[in-house]
Amino acid sequence: MRNQAEHNTFIFNNEIDRDLLFSLYEDDFPYIEEIFSITLSQIKPDISQLLTAFEAGNTQELRRATHKLKPSFGFVGLPAMQEQCRQFESECSVATSVDSLTPSFRKLVAGLDASVILLESEYQKLKEFNQP
Amino acid sequence: MSTNCVIVEDLQVAAEYTRKCCEKSGMLEVKGHFTNVPDALQFLNSTTIDILFLDVEMPGATGFDLLDQLGYSPRVILTTSKPEYAYNAFEYKVVDFLKKPFTYQRFLEALQRAIAQEDNGGAVNGESDNHIFIKSDGKLVRLNNEDILYIESMGDYVKFVTADKKYITHNTIKALEEKVNKACFMKVHRSYIINLTKIDDIRENDLFIKGTEIPISKAHKQDVLRRLNII
Repeated sequence: MRNQAEHNTFIFNNEIDRDLLFSLYEDDFPYIEEIFSITLSQIKPDISQLLTAFEAGNTQELRRATHKLKPSFGFVGLPAMQEQCRQFESECSVATSVDSLTPSFRKLVAGLDASVILLESEYQKLKEFNQP
Repeated sequence: MSTNCVIVEDLQVAAEYTRKCCEKSGMLEVKGHFTNVPDALQFLNSTTIDILFLDVEMPGATGFDLLDQLGYSPRVILTTSKPEYAYNAFEYKVVDFLKKPFTYQRFLEALQRAIAQEDNGGAVNGESDNHIFIKSDGKLVRLNNEDILYIESMGDYVKFVTADKKYITHNTIKALEEKVNKACFMKVHRSYIINLTKIDDIRENDLFIKGTEIPISKAHKQDVLRRLNII
């Protein structure tokens, strides 16, 4: 088991808002690892739902899927991604078709893909760090 | 005694975090977690809970739909990522509104508000002066003060007697003495609180309400007589 001082040496990727994570979980790294694990297992199917809604041209489903994804990123220290989801959700609320949403949607999906890669990497690092 | 609660939340990570906050507080017992409104309603309508952590947007139905269909009013703390729901939250008289993700400190503030409201008997702006809610048969039942004849101790339970019905609930005369409206009610014996406006007559050390004989203890007799309009 690592001691407190060793725990404090864990370095998150610069993209992750470390202060936000610490405000939520303090330095409970095993719990942060659990949160990352739960988030990764949930956002992948949620992103699939988002893609399906876009393919189907269903703006309301697209808004709902974005709404569900949005807070997940806050819980893993990615408030900028959460904000991007919020903006896209707002756009969906007033959109009459997915056509007008396409540029924002592509930008959102790129952000989501990058976030998943980042979270997977941080999760692996946390797993190694928390190993006895 | 811990306060019980239920989490209704479709986002797994948010539900897990809320559960952890509940656990950390040491004040809450989580009775269940539900990811949709129908499952939550099925549980909540058969089990009375004190505090409800409620998401708003969930598949199929919203948290507000749940509140519309619930047979009683637990203290509700909304957990949502959409501040636009603040107005609805006000309309539904929710205790607090937690924007996800929220810190443990913010969670505690909301919990303290909910518990403060609980200590106040759930009263909002003194509206409970003319009625009380009691837990009976797994639901909260509203009893107007004017309908209650008397309250009788049954050990760890009490019986609320109205003209046409009796309700048994887990409570004590001692605890109730502090909670009932003292303008209407008075403890006359260690086992009885009576509605002063319902007394038909008093004979020696007993009073009668709708044919029921209720003892008045020596310690309370002078107080009872003082409260009556004796000419």
